[in-house]
Amino acid sequence: MSMDRPPTGHDVELAAFAAAGDRRAYGELVRRHGSAVRGLLRRMGADSATADDMAQDAFLAGFEQVADYRGEGAFGGWIKRIAARCYLRKVKREARMIFTDEAQDGDDPTALNEPRTANRIDLDEALKVLSKGERLCVSLCYGGDWSHAEVAEALNIPIGTVKSHVKRGLDKLRAKLAPPSESARREAHG
Amino acid sequence: MAEPDFEAQLTRLYNEPPAFPDAELFAAQIAANLDRGWALRRVLIGGAGTAAGVIAAVQLITTRFSAELQTLSREGTRDLNADIDQAMNKVSQMVATPASVEALWLAAGLALLALGFAVTRAMEEF
Repeated sequence: MSMDRPPTGHDVELAAFAAAGDRRAYGELVRRHGSAVRGLLRRMGADSATADDMAQDAFLAGFEQVADYRGEGAFGGWIKRIAARCYLRKVKREARMIFTDEAQDGDDPTALNEPRTANRIDLDEALKVLSKGERLCVSLCYGGDWSHAEVAEALNIPIGTVKSHVKRGLDKLRAKLAPPSESARREAHG
Repeated sequence: MAEPDFEAQLTRLYNEPPAFPDAELFAAQIAANLDRGWALRRVLIGGAGTAAGVIAAVQLITTRFSAELQTLSREGTRDLNADIDQAMNKVSQMVATPASVEALWLAAGLALLALGFAVTRAMEEF
């Protein structure tokens, strides 16, 4: 790859260059997918600093493993999977998360009833009403494209627990993300 | 909203990453980390190469010893005692002067090359 031109091309092509040791090609992949990875980790429940550290670890690990990426799926999905695993290892190491079938921390009933302004759909705001477990499970399933079984295995919890976390999380998100009712819209507009 | 519709909407929302004002800085930090790791790797490879060069030079010098022994065995028809005496003399010589002048110069040259390579690499990287 030319040294004076910024690397271009499809992700798979750049990954192949990166696998051959081209750090500039990998740098372009980082530019393309950095925000997605950082965003996913935050949505999984990591604070900003942790999310960025984990994202950085994931990209560095990704460079070491990029030869294993054969282009079967999107590069974004592949690197997000590595990042999610990095974060899960940290979560399990610190034993911060307690997975039960009961709703727990993070539940903010008032947040669900807040009138929503205009038609703004803010997933990051909506995720705040979920418990840590719900947030993690929903984000892994819908943001990381993991199956329930994969989440259960990674978190070492029963698949039924994952399903109930996801269901409760979806219910809360649906309520939060639903289009505002006519009355709420009138309220919002004064 | 129907469940599949909502799930599709949620997946779409997840696929829209938030905008980070420091996205370029983040990418630059990773690039710097990769460069640092790469530099360390190159230094290690350079060190391994230097060590291998030194070992090769030592091997080159000591090979002379085994070559002498082979010559002795080929000329085995001679008087055994004389040969043993000669071999003992050769071994004594080898221990006293481990190599010929040419081999010593060659080893010194290789060592200088290796040292020069290591210093250049270190200056490039740090």
